[in-house]
Amino acid sequence: MEHLLSIKDLHASINGKEILKGFSLDMKAGEVHAIMGPNGSGKSTLSKVLAGREEYEVTSGTVIYKGENLLEMSPEERAHQGIFMAFQYPVELPGVNNTYFMQASLNAIRKARGEPELNSLNFMKLVRTKLKALEMDENLLKRSVNTGFSGGEMKRNEILQMTLLEPTLSILDETDSGLDIDALKMVSKGVNSLRSPERSMLVITHYQRLLDYIQPDYVHVLSGGRIIRSGDKSLALELEEKGYGWLQQEAAA
Amino acid sequence: MSAALLDYYQTLAANVPNEHAYQAVGKQRLGLVELPNRKQEAWRYTPLAPVLEHQFAAASREEGLLEPADIASLRVTPADHVCVVLLNGFFMPELSTLPAQAGLEVLDLAQAIQTSAVGIERLGSLSGECLHLFGAVNAALTSAGAYIRVTDKLAQPVEIMHINYSFDGEVLSNPRVLVQVEANASLTLLEQHAAFADVLGMHNGVTEIFLGEGAALNHPRLQNDSLRTRHLSSLYIQQAASSVYKGTTLALGSAWSRTEFHLDFSGGHAHCELNGFYLAGEQQMQAMHLDVLHSVPDCSSRESFKGILYGQGKAVFDGNILVKKDAQQTDARLSNDNLVLSREAEIDTKPRLEIYADDVQCSHGTTVGQIDPEMLFYLRARGIPKSAAMGMICQGFAAELIAHCDYPALETKALSILQERLMPVAAAL
Ligand SMILES: Nc1ncnc2c1ncn2[C@@H]1O[C@H](COP(=O)(O)OP(=O)(O)OP(=O)(O)O)[C@@H](O)[C@H]1O
Ligand SMILES: [Mg+2]
Repeated sequence: MEHLLSIKDLHASINGKEILKGFSLDMKAGEVHAIMGPNGSGKSTLSKVLAGREEYEVTSGTVIYKGENLLEMSPEERAHQGIFMAFQYPVELPGVNNTYFMQASLNAIRKARGEPELNSLNFMKLVRTKLKALEMDENLLKRSVNTGFSGGEMKRNEILQMTLLEPTLSILDETDSGLDIDALKMVSKGVNSLRSPERSMLVITHYQRLLDYIQPDYVHVLSGGRIIRSGDKSLALELEEKGYGWLQQEAAA
Repeated sequence: MSAALLDYYQTLAANVPNEHAYQAVGKQRLGLVELPNRKQEAWRYTPLAPVLEHQFAAASREEGLLEPADIASLRVTPADHVCVVLLNGFFMPELSTLPAQAGLEVLDLAQAIQTSAVGIERLGSLSGECLHLFGAVNAALTSAGAYIRVTDKLAQPVEIMHINYSFDGEVLSNPRVLVQVEANASLTLLEQHAAFADVLGMHNGVTEIFLGEGAALNHPRLQNDSLRTRHLSSLYIQQAASSVYKGTTLALGSAWSRTEFHLDFSGGHAHCELNGFYLAGEQQMQAMHLDVLHSVPDCSSRESFKGILYGQGKAVFDGNILVKKDAQQTDARLSNDNLVLSREAEIDTKPRLEIYADDVQCSHGTTVGQIDPEMLFYLRARGIPKSAAMGMICQGFAAELIAHCDYPALETKALSILQERLMPVAAAL
């Protein structure tokens, strides 16, 4: 079976500093991959490169998504093609109404795909059902995007967008960080509700706990800008116990 | 040119009879005043050629030029609410909507002068010495304008519609508006300067506002004059003890526009909120000039101004707050934030706090920035095309300020004008 996403020997830098140093990963449709790794190892860099942040310079390597060269697409084209990245640090948009933003987002994607846009009434119906499933406070819809949101509210807002946009490839960058236990369950429920044979997920996390809720097919360890170990979910348990040191030593050896 | 312009205005004034003492003061002043120039502190950053190079004809009352239906399409208040239409400065009863309302008196200013309406002697007492040429011209040339007095808490807003439009070519309008909100009364007064046609005229308005003890005025203003017009609004506000003034000026139109706020407190525990937004694009010049005087203790003021600049737009923010020696416990905060979308645009921002009291809380801050790449990426990552995303960021930046109007119909109107102006700009960035 063809890969949904195929990353080969990716090198990327920012401000002349190389962060990704030969990153490779293949993902099939329907698979969930977890990426773990120490702070500063390049996990968010990878997410942003995949989502199309232009400040990162890809110096070599390839990224093929649905058989096409992902690196040639603008961020909005990637979103239209079904890529969604839940930000580690969602951005505040003062003065931009949250509901308006989500409707604009969904409709931009639908339009690009030649699907009819949703009017406000139908959009509100849709967003309310998603909101309920995430047990989110409806007031968050009336406020400016992420502005003054608590850490947990921001993360839930990211997941709300994800469940609205129903992406083919979701990249969750530490969506579990800063969540309380209930919120973690809620977010996991949202993520799991999207699991299907067509959809894939790249889940970046520091905590094995999340992987109890979102069971990954594979776990990879990213260190120094590349994957130094891959395994199944038992690898996450092992990391929880032993940390990263032993793997980094092995990789250096 | 310069001396000729002074002569010209003096000659115009000589033919105007004095109906009220303030006009005599204006004429006197007209004989003494210098032309505004860049050496004067108050005009240092404001380019003056657009208003000094034209000899505008003095506006006169023109009947039958507009129809009530023309006004209906411009209004933001319901059709049965009070709406005063000032056409080239002149009060037009046949275009206005003037239902009787308890606690509210609305008159043609000329008529209020003739009938010695309550408080009419206050006219000119705030604008006083008519600081500069245009203040003097306003007083000397006409008694056109409106008189508004409120003695109760009014639930319905009052709208004032200024329209500059004439077949006579380049006319100068000089309306004066007197607003008195008496003790414990309250009002929402919406003002619009509407572009009816693409005219090149000059609006030179003076507004004097008196708030009695415990009075409250919400005063949203939308300046959407034609992009060839020159616009000068001078607002004078005096607040008695425990009164609240909230003014939100949205300056979107005009080729050259300057709004002056002169605010003074006469009693303690009064609060004022001055908000302003300006859009300076293409060849526009937008200036905001603040003189807030804290001369008595225990008053607070918030001055928040924001602007978006693009093309060869130029904006001036000249915000002065003076806290006098006796004005202890003053709490004043001034901010000015600018979003600059082009290299050619130019902003001069000059906030100034002058403090002579020792127990006060005062602060000021200004920012000049571009579209935040983090915000742009966030929106694009959600599928929103780049130009639409930039438009949303600009709208959001403005929307925060515009929301201070507290009048959704006006806010929506302002935001849609903004969107129309910014859409092609964002698409070209
Ligand atoms: N604009 C930048 N200029 C220079 N270095 C940068 C820039 N942005 C990121 N980096 C560096 O890139 C490295 C990788 O950062 P990245 O955010 O990808 O790490 P991470 O694995 O997501 O870490 P964490 O677990 O803390 O979220 C870090 O050392 C970081 O300081
Ligand atoms: Mg990170």
